[in-house]
Amino acid sequence: MMVSANRFRSIGWIALLLVCGALVMVLAFRVNALRSQVHRTELQIVSLRKEKLYLETEVETRANQQQLKLWNDVEFGYVAPSAGQYLSNERQLAAFAKPDGPDSPAPIRVASADDAVAAEAAFPSVIAGLAGEPDISAPAAASDDDAKPAAKPADAAERATATANLGARLAMVTPLGKAGADKPGKSKDGKSKDGKSKDGKIKDGKIKAEKSKDGTDKLGLAKSAKTAKDDAAKPGKGAKLAASKAGSSAAKVAPGKTAPGKTAPGKTAKPAKPATKGGKSAP
Amino acid sequence: MNALTASAAIATGRVQLANVRQGALVTARMRALWVMVLFIFATLTACVRIGQLGLFEQTPERTSLAEALLPSRGEITDRNGLALARAFASYSLWFNPKALGTSGAPLVKTPEEVARALVGIFPDADYADLVARLKSGKPSYLRRRVLPEDANKVFALGEPALEFPREEQRFYPQGSLAAHVLGYVDEAGKGHVGMEQVLENRLLDPAWRGTPTALSLDARAQGALEDELGRGMMETNAKGAAGVILDADSGEVIALASLPSFNPNRSDLAYNDLVFNRVSNQVYELGSTFKPITIASAIDAGVVTDLAVRYPSVPFKMGSFTIHDSHDFGTSLNVPEALIHSSNVVLAHVADNLGAPALKHTMEALGMNERPTIELPARGFPLWPRGGGEGGKGDWARLTTMTVSYGHGIAVTPLHLASAYAALVNGGIWRPATLYKVDPAHLAPGRRVFQASTSARLRQLLRMIVVDGTGRKADAPGFRVGGKTGSAEKPGTGGYRKTSLIATFAAAFPMDKPRYVVIVMLDEPQATTATSGQRTAAWNAAPIVGRLVPRIGPMLGVVPDAHHDVDISDLSPLVGSGEGE
Repeated sequence: MMVSANRFRSIGWIALLLVCGALVMVLAFRVNALRSQVHRTELQIVSLRKEKLYLETEVETRANQQQLKLWNDVEFGYVAPSAGQYLSNERQLAAFAKPDGPDSPAPIRVASADDAVAAEAAFPSVIAGLAGEPDISAPAAASDDDAKPAAKPADAAERATATANLGARLAMVTPLGKAGADKPGKSKDGKSKDGKSKDGKIKDGKIKAEKSKDGTDKLGLAKSAKTAKDDAAKPGKGAKLAASKAGSSAAKVAPGKTAPGKTAPGKTAKPAKPATKGGKSAP
Repeated sequence: MNALTASAAIATGRVQLANVRQGALVTARMRALWVMVLFIFATLTACVRIGQLGLFEQTPERTSLAEALLPSRGEITDRNGLALARAFASYSLWFNPKALGTSGAPLVKTPEEVARALVGIFPDADYADLVARLKSGKPSYLRRRVLPEDANKVFALGEPALEFPREEQRFYPQGSLAAHVLGYVDEAGKGHVGMEQVLENRLLDPAWRGTPTALSLDARAQGALEDELGRGMMETNAKGAAGVILDADSGEVIALASLPSFNPNRSDLAYNDLVFNRVSNQVYELGSTFKPITIASAIDAGVVTDLAVRYPSVPFKMGSFTIHDSHDFGTSLNVPEALIHSSNVVLAHVADNLGAPALKHTMEALGMNERPTIELPARGFPLWPRGGGEGGKGDWARLTTMTVSYGHGIAVTPLHLASAYAALVNGGIWRPATLYKVDPAHLAPGRRVFQASTSARLRQLLRMIVVDGTGRKADAPGFRVGGKTGSAEKPGTGGYRKTSLIATFAAAFPMDKPRYVVIVMLDEPQATTATSGQRTAAWNAAPIVGRLVPRIGPMLGVVPDAHHDVDISDLSPLVGSGEGE
């Protein structure tokens, strides 16, 4: 009986060992199966990346400089924007103003309270991009970024400074439908601040250029300029005028209306975009 | 006895029988054992194999993701990251005569029919050559690079012998854009001519080839430059054209074009005369474009202090040689007028006052006595005038000094001129030209050639030439272009040839804070209706700059502004009116 108990115990041990061994085996197999699955996925990634590169190269080849030029010569006839199509400051923009209606009184223009903002608006850094450091990498970097952070100042003061610049102000886009519903107070919240529209049009330059082409979206531009003004809590009446003005002169002003070099470097990353667009207009 | 014998015999028989039985049993056991051993061995082998497969399967030669994606040759991009050259698995057209089996004809149709169909798909293909290859019965490439849509068309011909292996080759998505800068890669995978040759080691180094190499070029500006140069070349029936856009501060080459160009995608055709780079390799007497350099040298040396001082402009006799102007500008001119009308005589007088050592020193400081500083392998050595003394290293003769002052007797590349103009307008610092993208914080060390005040004065003078003088057709509104025309006759047998000109326009913009230098050169432009019957730079090279600057300015961050300009009001009263070269 003793012997049989001993024997039973050793058989039990062996069985346990076997079960453990089998479990280890199963685990190892599973691990390995997973590993080969990862490997397969990697191979798939490689082939997809290669395919992506292939397609990317094909697009680049089809849209190469010479091809674009050919299309432009035959189909589009875009030319480089002339000096008259660029605005360097708000005064130039305001100069396009029309009275609100026939026989309407001249709008009352009040002086700006914030000296820094006013000074910058009055004496824009005309050749800031040129006179400063030869900061040639900035536009390149800007075109890669989403340019969204620049349009998202942390607080109102910062925002006021940022929007003192005409280019930055024009760059603020509010979606058409939303703009109508927005109350001035409401536009102060973070939602409309970043100029992100529902349809994902974030890049201001692009939007403006599109608008300029057919001139149908003037209202959106006017509204956005207005909203931006309200947000900045600055010049009030003049802002409205300028805004409505922007609408009336949108077709004339764009493309490449934002003067890329004139925006103070570092303040906004956007200037590169209109420049790129201008580039497209004359490949 | 008998019984004993019989019993013994029986006993023996039994023993033998027992032995036989024993032997049979042993054999059977042995066989069973063998079978068992075999079974155990097979089971063990299977277990070991299962274990091996389960546990250690693809550990050998597992390549990482990065390695698998590493291109065979590194990518070259422009400064904004646009791919200019990349390793790319493209289709090639391979003729495999054994595709239909070894016996019988390799093609379904006749070689002539197939060749004709191929020429229909690839119009530049050589029919006779194709027929010869298809008839030879030897496997060969019919074409190295085939577009997918063309490959589909060839596939539709229904010839199994025409195959499309995908091979990793060098591909230039932008075609011939910047061909002279990039160069090409031959069939053996070796880079030639441009940066492909210069960067050979880096592009092939596994540690580096994963990251693209950024050049200083801007593909958009490059495209515009090639486009406008090509147009100018067509309008004037010129033999060739060259152009370079240089960042005035950093010396980065934003665009560099030499026309006619070649297509680096057809490396089999690329090695011909067209790979010759007119910008960095060919030296020219660039004529009047040297005048501002002479004036800057004179202002810098204190020889010209008052720009109102008038110099005689009547033909100037020097021994048997007479220096004269293209037109008669009256008896005397001051320095601004001399530049505006491009007077050789006045420049000769200024250079005479300046003296050979000072002018020579300026030219040397601008690097005119050595090959241009750029990474490209093909760089031309200037024709540097011989001086007196031992080995011609002494000072120039008086006449040499005078001719050099207006750009004759010295031949340099357009790139030399671009670097010199950058120094002329950027505040006086000469920097080597480079094709690598430079971090503005780590500019290459430069050397001061002119004082900042001299540079400021020259900016005014160059702007005046465009506002009032020979460069009027380069005046892009709002871009504050400044520059100087140069129309030099080409030397031929027995003196200069009156009708073979090198027309150059050397410009910079915007003149209030120059960012870019633009050099445009036409080789032997003809007088056409497009140039109002003229063949000088004012009529052919200057308009190219006038069209080019508005295209590239906004892309390069220069905003046109009609209300902003360099102040030339102190010089304007000094200038009359007239016409020059």
